[in-house]
Amino acid sequence: MVFKYFSILLLVFFTVLVILPVYLMVKVSLSPPEDIMVQRPGFLIRNVTFRHWKDVFKSGRLWQPLKKSIIVATTTALLALLISIPGAYVISHLSRTLRYSMILSLFFTRMFPEVGIALPIAVNFIKWGLFDTNLGLTMAHLIRVLPVTAWILIGTYRTIPSDLEDAAQVDGCGRLGVLKHVVLPLALPGISVALIFSWLMSWDEFTYALYLCLREKTMPLQVYYYISRGDWFLTASYATIITIPVIFVTYILQKYLRSGYLAGAVKG
Amino acid sequence: MSFRKLKKSWLEILLITPLLIYILGFTLAPVIYAVYMSFQDKFTLHFPTLVNYKYIFTHFQFKEAFFNTCFVAGVGITLELTIGLLVALILYRNFKGRGIFRAIMLLPLGVPTVVAATNMRYIFDTSGYLNSFLLKLGVVEHAVDWAGGGIKTLMTIVVADMWKVTPLVMLILLAGLETIPEQLYEAARIDGAGAWKRFKHITLPLLKPAITMALVIRGIDIFRIFDLPLILVGRHTRVLSTYAYFEYYDYANPYTSSAGATILMVMILLTIIAYLKMTGTKEVQY
Repeated sequence: MVFKYFSILLLVFFTVLVILPVYLMVKVSLSPPEDIMVQRPGFLIRNVTFRHWKDVFKSGRLWQPLKKSIIVATTTALLALLISIPGAYVISHLSRTLRYSMILSLFFTRMFPEVGIALPIAVNFIKWGLFDTNLGLTMAHLIRVLPVTAWILIGTYRTIPSDLEDAAQVDGCGRLGVLKHVVLPLALPGISVALIFSWLMSWDEFTYALYLCLREKTMPLQVYYYISRGDWFLTASYATIITIPVIFVTYILQKYLRSGYLAGAVKG
Repeated sequence: MSFRKLKKSWLEILLITPLLIYILGFTLAPVIYAVYMSFQDKFTLHFPTLVNYKYIFTHFQFKEAFFNTCFVAGVGITLELTIGLLVALILYRNFKGRGIFRAIMLLPLGVPTVVAATNMRYIFDTSGYLNSFLLKLGVVEHAVDWAGGGIKTLMTIVVADMWKVTPLVMLILLAGLETIPEQLYEAARIDGAGAWKRFKHITLPLLKPAITMALVIRGIDIFRIFDLPLILVGRHTRVLSTYAYFEYYDYANPYTSSAGATILMVMILLTIIAYLKMTGTKEVQY
């Protein structure tokens, strides 16, 4: 009994810790400077002002980064699926050892620090004219997105019983036909998870954007720009704006996320 | 027959080619190029030379960054795993409102890292909310300068990282807990095993694959941690990633920057190998 109450108490404590930073961000974005820029700022919202939000909308620094981030994230997500749907299908049908080594090598690439990969890429993209372009940034984002989408899709394909594929082949379906008519419809939930995941990963991405963008910034870069200028209020409003769609999307995602997608790739 | 087999694999090769080209061309190639650059002389472009490594090994900021990375990774991963497991164990039980708590716990997953770092600045600023809280409680008499350097600054990075990724660790461990069959616990209960014994002899061993996965995924990422320290503490307290960044950004020296990145990769590799050697790869089956 004591244990039970203790664990509920602990849970409430962690919940508060999780919510607090986000709450403070929203609070700062809505408070007049007099309430925040003091020695001991209070924790409750006393006065509400929409001044900082209006400033962000009027600053001319919202629509261009928003457009860029949406374009890059959407292209990245679609390209990631286009490349990893067929690739992961093949990997999921390999023998256990081969499959393992493929998955391992997918993640081996993650061992090198992103600052190390971003540097040669920036150097080469300047030569190729891809520096500071949406296409260049999309290509860089695929580097971090592809292993994850491939991993999710391998797990998804593994949850589809192979009897179904065999039956379809017996019924005269070609290899591509099986993929199109049997596997893809059944893998649709996993594919949507991969799609949303890759979109989010590109939307949040900071390191490659920092190395590859100069004139046109993405949303996370713009937040960094506001922080470097030291303006608490514009940063808070801007940060809130880029967070809202993401929290929304994440909740849709976690509803569809089943543990099978994550575990399937490495099991049996 | 062999012709059909060949035809079959041709299709498969065709399907997997784009993925392989991308992985080889856009990840492996830059990695090799970066390692190559780290052995190249800045002025003569002579290869191979150890001049970049000699330079960073005498650089006191590199030594600091090396220590900081080890500290953040070691303390961070330990705390994240402990708390992640604790929360997963609580959320694993069935109780009213479990869904709501679970949903709230996942909130940080939806917050961009840059935003998480911003929020932490509001908390750890000299006239920020943590100091305000401590002063009101009377724990400290004067505002603490959290970004001033030393262990307390490193702890702010750890706390920021914990806030952002413990939910992911929890999610992986929760998925692992759900695969443990309920009957095992019942059988152990009938045999008279207490809560601690059940945890030690059933939960922990069967959770090992999930723990390993969380450790490998998180372990790699926490070594490479970049945006959080860059935004939270910037130039003053560096980890290896931000060290490599500033070598390029401040001194326009891609060669020493690459050397820093290469050393970081070697550290990550060694840690993973050491972990796998230590724990072995055998799985427990009941």
